[in-house]
Amino acid sequence: MVAERNEEKHTVGFEPRILGIACNWCTYTGADLAGTTRVQYPHNIRVARVMCSSRINPSFIFRAFELGADGILVGGCHPGDCHYSTGNYYARRKLAVTKKILEFAGLEPERFRVEWISASEGNRYAEIVREFTEEIRALGPQTRLAMGRDTEG
Amino acid sequence: MKRIETRLREEARRLLETGEVEVVLAYGRGYDDRHPMPCAAKTVADAERIVFNEYCTHNMARYLLDYPPGTRIAIAVKGCDSRAVVVLLQEEKVRREDLVILGIPAVGMKDPRTGRIIDASTTCGTTNPVLYDILLGEKAAEPDTSPYDVLEELEGMDGADRWAFWERELSRCIRCYACRQACPMCYCDPCFVDQAEPRWADKSPSLESNLMFHLTRFYHLAGRCVDCGECSRACPMEIPLYLFHKKVARECEEMFGQAAGMSVDDKPVMLDFRVEDADEILL
Repeated sequence: MVAERNEEKHTVGFEPRILGIACNWCTYTGADLAGTTRVQYPHNIRVARVMCSSRINPSFIFRAFELGADGILVGGCHPGDCHYSTGNYYARRKLAVTKKILEFAGLEPERFRVEWISASEGNRYAEIVREFTEEIRALGPQTRLAMGRDTEG
Repeated sequence: MKRIETRLREEARRLLETGEVEVVLAYGRGYDDRHPMPCAAKTVADAERIVFNEYCTHNMARYLLDYPPGTRIAIAVKGCDSRAVVVLLQEEKVRREDLVILGIPAVGMKDPRTGRIIDASTTCGTTNPVLYDILLGEKAAEPDTSPYDVLEELEGMDGADRWAFWERELSRCIRCYACRQACPMCYCDPCFVDQAEPRWADKSPSLESNLMFHLTRFYHLAGRCVDCGECSRACPMEIPLYLFHKKVARECEEMFGQAAGMSVDDKPVMLDFRVEDADEILL
């Protein structure tokens, strides 16, 4: 039932809803830089800030997909550059397992992406968001984990 | 099996008599031979009730944390049960000096529900206990098949088919939490799913809340699941949860080079990292 209802969602004029989760010290600052230097990138991404990529509870990811996110982009500091020295090393393991779980459950693995983006990489941040948005647009709405509620943005 | 039962009873009697332990976690008689029950023997008289047969599939490591720290406990373990004890030791949930581990090499255990033999093709990839003080019986040959062979069919499916499979299976879940209660690794109090704030998942069964519960549980058992299969045997809806746990275990083993509960010196993979972990694991 739920799946059917989601299937009916017209894909014409589909605007992906993407959750971005960015670490305070690198990716979020990088996104800020993209903003202050007026780099254009799609508005499909809604960024949530966390203090560290290792703060991300994998349940956040499951829950966001359940609430209708079409794609999730996680950004953290480059390995070795973590503000807390080792946070992103833990995050790397956690998020890798999260991705394998989503994939085995049957979700398209491309919908979940982790990138290391430093505070100085405003252009790269915009580039990745652009690329990811197009990828999700091509994939269409995420209907598998999403619950039956209307997820039109 | 009979010899193991006799020795198990003898050891239990001796340990309780000498006061070496306060409780022996083993198996007791159920309403028939096919349904033995977990048993905590505290007196010599209790020890007489201990049984062991091919239907004693329960993972007694589940009950270790029911006793206050410092309680001296003897526990009967089969291959995978001993791995569960090792994980609890790694996580410092129990202390080695409090435990007397009675190892049982388990071959030919049977599922009480179906009567079929449990071998490496379903769960149970370990025959001999990896950690024990007293071994009851002779060591048996380890299975020559990989515990992950059973995943072949699911891994070969494409995403849509696999989703259809899990949607069908997990939508049947009635959220009785038998899987969690049977699991030796599920000791959180409160469990995330029982929390009121944040409320991770609805209490009533629905595909969405079931997914939230199970996916998170699969994650919580990453690198910890010892593949005993108790979750799936406890499940009244016969959902093959072990398949998902196996997959996660396989990925963890391949990515981090370590299977759960094989050595007390290992660190659980999710509590550890290596600088040289490849970024490719995120792809």
